[in-house]
This record gives sequence, structure tokens and C-alpha cells, in this order.
Amino acid sequence: MILPQFDVLVPETVNEACAMLAEHAEHGVRVLAGGTDLLVNLRRPIITQHVPRCDGCRTHPEGAVSSTIDCTMWESEPLMASGGSLRTLLRDQEKTSPEFLVSLHKLKELKNIRRSDDGGLRIGALTTLAEIQRSPEIRQDYTALAEGTDNLGSPLVRNRGTLGGNIVNARPAADAAVPTIGLGAMLTLHGKSGTRSVPAEGFPTAPGKTIIEPDELLTEIVYPLSPTYSGSAYYKLANRKALEISTVGVAVWVILEKPGGPVADVRVALGAVGPTPILAKSVPAVLIGKVPDKAAIAEAAEAAAGDCRPIDDHRGSAWYRVQMVEVLTGRLLKIAVERAGTTT
Amino acid sequence: MSDYKLLNTRAPRVDAVDKATGRAVYTDDLKRSGMLYAALLHSPLAHARILNIDTSRAQKLPGVKAVVTHHEAGIEPYGVSPARYDETIFCHDRVRYVGDEIAAVAAVDLDTALQAVSLIKVDFEELPLVLDGLTAMDEGQPQLHEMYEKNICAEVNWHFGDIEQGRKEADLIRTDRLTSKMQDAAFLEPQSVLAEVDSHGNLTMWSSTQAPHYVQRTLAMALKIPLHKVRVIKPAVGGGFGPKASCSTGELATCLLAMKTGKPVKLTFDREQVFLHSRARHQFFHTMTTGIKKDGTLSFLEHQCILDGGAYASFGIATVYYAGSLLGGPYRLKNMKYDGRRVVTNKPACGAQRGHGAVIARALFEVQLDRLAEELGMDPIELRLRNVMEAGETTCNELFVSSFGMREALEAVRDSATWRQKRSQAGRIRRNGKGIGAACGFFVSGAGYPIYRSQTYHCTVITKVDDVGGGVTVMSGAADIGQGSDTVLAMITAEELGLSLDDVKITSGDTALSVDLGAYSSRTTLMTGHACREAAQDVKRQILAAVGGRLGVPPETLDLRDGLVVSLAGDIDFSALREEYLKEHKGFRDLPSGPQLTFREASRIAFLELGSIVGTGKYKPPKLGGSFKGATVGTSPAFGCSAQIAEVNIDLETGEVTVDRITGAHDCGFAINMTQVEGQMQGSMMMGMGEALMEQVQYDQKGRIVNANLAEYKIPTSLDMPHLEAIVVESNEPHGPYGAKEVGEGAIMPVIPSILNAIYDATGVRIEELPITPERIIAALHAAKNALLDSK
Repeated sequence: MILPQFDVLVPETVNEACAMLAEHAEHGVRVLAGGTDLLVNLRRPIITQHVPRCDGCRTHPEGAVSSTIDCTMWESEPLMASGGSLRTLLRDQEKTSPEFLVSLHKLKELKNIRRSDDGGLRIGALTTLAEIQRSPEIRQDYTALAEGTDNLGSPLVRNRGTLGGNIVNARPAADAAVPTIGLGAMLTLHGKSGTRSVPAEGFPTAPGKTIIEPDELLTEIVYPLSPTYSGSAYYKLANRKALEISTVGVAVWVILEKPGGPVADVRVALGAVGPTPILAKSVPAVLIGKVPDKAAIAEAAEAAAGDCRPIDDHRGSAWYRVQMVEVLTGRLLKIAVERAGTTT
Repeated sequence: MSDYKLLNTRAPRVDAVDKATGRAVYTDDLKRSGMLYAALLHSPLAHARILNIDTSRAQKLPGVKAVVTHHEAGIEPYGVSPARYDETIFCHDRVRYVGDEIAAVAAVDLDTALQAVSLIKVDFEELPLVLDGLTAMDEGQPQLHEMYEKNICAEVNWHFGDIEQGRKEADLIRTDRLTSKMQDAAFLEPQSVLAEVDSHGNLTMWSSTQAPHYVQRTLAMALKIPLHKVRVIKPAVGGGFGPKASCSTGELATCLLAMKTGKPVKLTFDREQVFLHSRARHQFFHTMTTGIKKDGTLSFLEHQCILDGGAYASFGIATVYYAGSLLGGPYRLKNMKYDGRRVVTNKPACGAQRGHGAVIARALFEVQLDRLAEELGMDPIELRLRNVMEAGETTCNELFVSSFGMREALEAVRDSATWRQKRSQAGRIRRNGKGIGAACGFFVSGAGYPIYRSQTYHCTVITKVDDVGGGVTVMSGAADIGQGSDTVLAMITAEELGLSLDDVKITSGDTALSVDLGAYSSRTTLMTGHACREAAQDVKRQILAAVGGRLGVPPETLDLRDGLVVSLAGDIDFSALREEYLKEHKGFRDLPSGPQLTFREASRIAFLELGSIVGTGKYKPPKLGGSFKGATVGTSPAFGCSAQIAEVNIDLETGEVTVDRITGAHDCGFAINMTQVEGQMQGSMMMGMGEALMEQVQYDQKGRIVNANLAEYKIPTSLDMPHLEAIVVESNEPHGPYGAKEVGEGAIMPVIPSILNAIYDATGVRIEELPITPERIIAALHAAKNALLDSK
């Protein structure tokens, strides 16, 4: 309805941003990147502010128009909990509106897509989802990421929302975070005392929660080299074709030793079937070293279904989700293998 | 081709440019000097006793101008149906749903008003909940209202013809069920209200409403002020679909605050409040048993329905009747029994929504026809064609269809969608993921009776000629809520007076102008159209009489066409009139100079003769319907009918549904504006598709809506919409103006069943619970597979 009162801080550099985050951590500070989650969530709820802190139900959605937002029942979040586009530094769950927003719009250095020295890809955290969707390079070599952005929210959301925001927001169904995990990316976190690099799959810890420190900013997402015989794919299962939060999201990445196999490496990441996006850990053991034929793929898909831990919620039952993980993993492995085989 | 200049064309809507450019003024755009902002305190609990309300902290907050509760508003009940006044402006003893209004605040700005609301302290004693409509009537369930024993708010028991005879005649009988979910109408513009009281105690309220007249009555009654001191004005409205047809607490509270403070007060609902206020589609639990003869002739329908209506009656009495009565057509059905019960539960109140009461009933009945056709080995369209009514017939529940293009509509969609080729073999279910399904629909063209018991005209129209000559102003209480009624009134007036649309000014949606029952039950084109035509003809008669008098020719030899006075009896000398007109306008440019007398001259000359020229028109339906209890609901001066074919593609592994194409045909009698008729049909297809595939208001165990926003309450996006083909059938309705009747709601009737039938064709499984989500399809496929394994 209407926004609460807050001050907006505008750092000129990443270091300045981190200093601001550290300085105001005690008062409640939030990072403003694309704002597609944060600004929507900051709007004062009219009704639910009167609802006593909830015990039984933890399912109230967050009233947002972005599919990067997800509401979950995995943990006891306060009703109408705020999301946060890049992340929340709010350790105090009682406090729902921050006193400061740190707007990153001047940090142009975080808005780029470039090759890394080893042939991988480095994407600045402020790169918009639309920029990723439009990049021929990403679509060619990191197809799953491009496909992750294809049906994310709407064109308006993709024009504002950022890759970093989608990851730090740490929603289980985040459509760009799932392929980021599937593609084995590393996240660069910049803090007052330096930078560190962490694997994407270890970053989220719970819905809306990550390992990021109060003074840290996610600055870059680093995707490893896409080998010659590799291919990836993502599919978002939902009830309509836009403006959706996935019922299930699956990303796969397959590296073949040569066209037709055998499989040198494989990663399957799953969205909306656990408290965070997860890596299907038992798939590599099933598939590596094998020719990815129908039977091998079916076995891998079954393994992926066994790895997920979905719940029943208003978007779908656990029963349905488990089956869909199997169906979609099988389909996407087939597609990724085809893509791996034809990549030259 | 018709002989009309404007009618039956694709004339652009009169409000098109204003709406496309953002110039159109909606209620929330309005600002008044010194205006205050209102906020409402809603109940956080679905069922609780109110022990105490403490507003003292809110009262003390700087900037707060008034805080009102039941102490100020009183506790006299009001509602929609006089027989079911079950609401008070504010809750006083109990709250009955999450969102029930307890208090309202007016303050200098919205922030302050919202803050003040959060300072109101209410002590509750929680009461057990009734959330399930099916068990609400059971012994031992908590009672929501003293007046509704066993939580039954309304009950209908109808028996037309002879069911037992029908059973004897039937060769094949089957029983099926269908359950739906509560809906939200998802209009673009949330409800908005601005109210002010002048120094004479006149209350004016601008509101996003469908029914200014009903709202005026409710305001006067509930706020205890004389009717003539209340004026309701409807600015541009961004959609209604039913929920805006009754007076809301928001409207009442805002008026009360304006009366208390003496200042203009505005309230605009947040989207969450739209969901909480609801008054949208009920949840329906239908069971139908239908019998049929070997030749495909219907022999009887036995129908039970339970409607979950939420906490209050709203329009729900009409809903429970409509759910039964509108199955009387479009097929010949001699024997019909209907037992309907509407129950109250601790959820937001349901009311009217497009296709009022009849949509889910229609869906199940059309599914039954398909299943019966399959069992008989008959093509489902052929089965329908064997049963369709023709013009001049009366249904078993005494609905007379004076025009009826049902057969034509059904044949049109069958041929246009190339049904025979796509269906390949009659009755054979393909089950390969691609499917095609058909259904029909039937709907009123305006409710035959007002919601309150009265002999009132349903509408009046005043058309006034500009005293200076040249154009006319049409004054009407009719509510254009986006459906295009202003354009229809302008086209009718311009047609009758031989004017261009630019010379007809429409002022409407204002209770100070005329009585009009409002935009509901698909009534405006037929009813207000009649009144508008009559008013225009009245004006024409007066102008031609005056001009004929001056020219010394009989008025009946004159006509108005293309902005000119045309003589049907050879040339006439009008030079004296032109000279008189030119003399009045010395120095003006663009004066009439052609060889014929213009409307501009004629209308000015007529004014000089008669003074102000005002034409009036009025309409109320003739006496309609049967003499049985509840016969007033479902009866109408005319009935629309429609047919539709949906084509779908189902992913048999994920259950994802893609609707590939919808072909619809609707009999609107006569299309006043062809584009608008198609627009209503396309809008209906989209709304019905959403209801079939994705829409559902979802509640948690405490009765709170978990998806009270348009991110999580899903309606089709443009990417979901298939190719839509809208075929207009014109059967020339004898009771409609120029032969016109409804399209606004009837066109939604076949949408859900055509999709249900297509999904069956594609998958071989029947879904008995709406919406048809991918998960429900997969679950049904699994169940079918398991059943098959069990049987082996």
C-alpha cells in the first residue's frame, strides 16, 4: 500500500557499500538492487499487520509480483516476512522495516558479463535478468541459465530484477539460482575484510537465509568453463506461462567425454522441492561413466526424485512434485545430452 | 447488411481515446479540497466474539479526524435482499470472517489513517470455525447467524414436470459431480470511494460501482438519511463482473466518516481488501442425475447443489435460484428437480459474478451430456442438436424464449472448428493428449425483477437537445463499467436522430439523472437501450413537429438523417428558417450553407418555438415468469444462448494444459456494436478459461486467504491465451431494442465445460474438481491407471 519511512544510501564503490552495511547493521539495513522483491515487500500490509505472530500457519504469501519471491512452510517465518532483493541483514525478525536502504545503482562495475581467464563466465551481480536472457553467449554456453530467465516473472520484472538479487533472496523456487547451482557456479562475496568465493549450492541455508555476513555484498557469479561436449537445460513447471513461482524447477548440466557419451560429469539442481534450491547429489554416481541412453537417464531421473524433499503447499503436493522431478529430470537430461553432442 | 447508419457497425467506443490516453477519470483520481483519507480495521480472526473495542489511542493520534465503530454507525441490519438483511456497517458482537470490518478512521493522510487503525485495540474471544461448506449444515457445527438455522441461508426446492415419469422414460441414467472453488473477479480497478456532505446535508458519493441506484438505496437506509439527500456518481470504472453490484462496507464507512467530519473522505481498497471484501463467485458442490432416451432425447434432470456463500447473504439468494433455474434451457427438458442450499461459513461473503450462479451448474450438465453421448455412441454435438429449443418455446420452469439462435450457434462452431474432422470418429476418445470438446450455454438478458420488491421502472433516460442547437445530451443512470454501455446509448441516440457520435454527449452513472438498476444480469443494452431509443424518438418527434409547423408541412413527411432534415415529400422551401439561423450567428464561421436544412438549424429553430426540448424514455419488463416460489429469479424478457468448442493439448506426463483454440458463437439477437459483442465474448472466454484452469481463492486452516493478490491468484496471462474466434449470431429478439439482447454473461457459460470435455477427449479422464490444475490431471491419470490394474 504505502512504503514505510527509510533513508536511502547511495555508495559509489563496493567498499563503500560494505562499510554502509556494516555501519547500519544494527538499525536494520537492506540492499536495494532491482527492487522487484524488496519494494513490493516493504509496502505496509493493511490487514496482516494486525494478525498476531502466527503459530500454526506459515504460508502467507508475500504479496509480490515477482516470481523470485517464494513463500514456504519450511520454517517459522513471521507472517508477511519481508523478502529482500539482494539480501536481508535483518537478524532481528521482529523488525520488518529497515531504517536504511543501500541502493547499488551507481555500482556500474557490478553490471557486466565477461569471460574469465580460464574460459568460464563472470557475471556481475547487478546484471539484470533481461540482460542474461538476451545474451547470445549465455544462451550458447550456459543454456540452463538463459532458460531460467526466460519465464521468470514478466518482462517488467526481468528488466529490473538482477541475477544477484535472485540468488541472495534465497527463495527455494528462484529460477536463476537453480541453474546457477546446476552449472556449478562460485559466488564472490565482498566484505570489509576482503573477498571470498563460495560454491553456489552451499550459499542458501533456509528460505530467505544465506551464509552471507552482515558487511558482505554478492558482487559476482562465476560460471566454470563450458567444455566442448557439454549441454545444459532448465525447465520451470507452473500453472501458467508467466508471472509464476515454479511448482518445480529443474536444471541439468551434462559433460560428455565425446558425442554420444559416456558421461564425464553431470549436475542436476532442483528448485521448489526443498527449503532451498538443492543439488541432486546421487545423480552423478548413477550417470558418470555411462552412455546416457534411455535406461541410464531413467535411472538418473529416479535418483533425482529420491534426492528431493518437497512439501505440500498451495502450489502443489509433495506427491506431485516428486513425480515431476523424475519426469523433468529425464526430459532435461535427454535435451542436455543432445545439446552436448552437437556442441562443437 | 442492415439499413442502419451506425447500429451493427464497429463504431469506436466513445471512451476509447480517454481510456487509452489516461485521460479517463476514475474514482481514485478525484481530489477535493480538504480531503481526508480513510482506512478500515478488518478482523484478523475468522470467527470471534468482540469483547471490547478501545479506540482511545487512535483518537489521540495527531492528524486523526474521526474514528467510527458500531457506536457511531448503529447496528441496524442491512443487506442486498430484503429477506436477508444480515450485515451491519461494523461488527458489534461478532466477527465472521478474516476481513470483517470493525472500525474506520479518517485522517489527514493515508499513513496516519493506517497508523491509527493499528492503534485500535480489540479484545476477542475466539469461536470455533465453520470453513467447509459441505459440513456447515451438520449437527453440532457452530452457528454463524441466529437467523440461519443449521447455517442454511437459503433453500430452494423445485420440481417441474414429473421426475418419476422421466425416470421411467429414460433408457440411460447417470449421476455425476462437480466441485468448484471460490473465485475473485480480478477486475483491474480496486473499489474506491469519495464521499462528501454539503452545507444542506446532501451526501454525494463517487464510487467504483456497478449499481448506483441500489447503492443509493442502501446508503440512505443504513445511514438513516432520506433517499433524495443521497447522490451516487459512478466515474470511469475498471471492471466489476458482479462484486461491485452491491453496496460495500467501504462505501458506507466512507460516507459515515464524511458525515462525521464534514470533510470529503476518500477510501481506496488495496488488492488484499478486494479479496477480503469478495462478493464474488460462490463455491459450488453440484450433483446431477440425468436421464436420456436411446434416441438422445433428454428425459429428466435431478439436481442437488450446495453453495458455500461465506459469512453473509449478499446476492446469494439470487445465486442459489440461478444455479437451478438456468438449466431450464437451452435444451428441451420436461422434467427437472432442483434442491439447492446456500450455507454460510467463516469466509468472505460471496455474491454475484459473471454468469451469476449458473456457471458451474452449466459446466456439470454439459459434461453429463458428453458422457451420456459417449455411452450412447452418439456425437455430443449431434446429441445437443437433437434437444435444442427453438424460438417460441417455454422451458419447464416457465421461461419463454422469444428468440433463440441455439441451433445456428452450435452448427456455426461445429463447422468453423472443423469438429467432424478433428473428432475423427464419433464418440472415440483419442487419449493422446490432443482433445476437442463442445458445450452450450443459456442466460438471462436482464433480470425480470428488481432486487427489491417494486413496480419501479428498471431504467429511465432523459435526452435533452442543446438549447443552442446542434447536439444532444443523453442523461442516464446506467453504469458503464467498461462493458461499453455509454457507446451503446450514444449509437442508439445518434442512429435515431441521424447524428454523428461526436454530436451525442453521454452523461451517465449518476443517480441525480435517472433511475437505472445498474450493470448486472446482462440488462443494460436491452433495458436501457429501449429507454434510450424512446427518449431519442421523443426528441425527434418534438423537433420535427416544431420544424414542420414552421415549414407548413406535416411532420411525418420529415426525417432526420446524416445531420440533416430530409423531406420525404419532395423539396421544401426552408430559406426563412436558414435566414433566421444565420441572422442569429452573425460573425460565426462554419455556418450551414448546403441545399438542405441541418439538424443544427432545425434543433435551434425548434428551441425557439418550444423552449428546451427534452425527450424521456423508460422501460420495465412485461409481467414475466411463473407463479411458483422463486419464479422471479431466472425470468427475463429475453434469453441469450451460446455454443463453444475448445481445443487443448495436454502433456500427459506433467499435466500441463495448453488451450490451442477456442471457437465460440453467441446469439446476441442483434449486435448494436459488433466489436463490443466480440469483446464481451473474448473476455468471457478468458475469464472462463481462468476459472477452468487456474483460479481459486485458497484459505488456510484459520480462514485466512493465502493468495489475496494477483501474483498468487492466477488468471490467464496474454501468453496463456489461445486463438479466439468469436462468431456473432443474430436471431432478432422481438423484445429487444432493434432485436438486441445480452452477450456480457451468456458467453461465459460454455467455456468451462468445453474445456472439461476437451480435456477428457485428450486424456480419457474426468476431472471433478475445479480448477483443472496439472496436478489434478496427473492424479486422475494415476487413478485411472490404478483402476485399470485393479480390474485386471
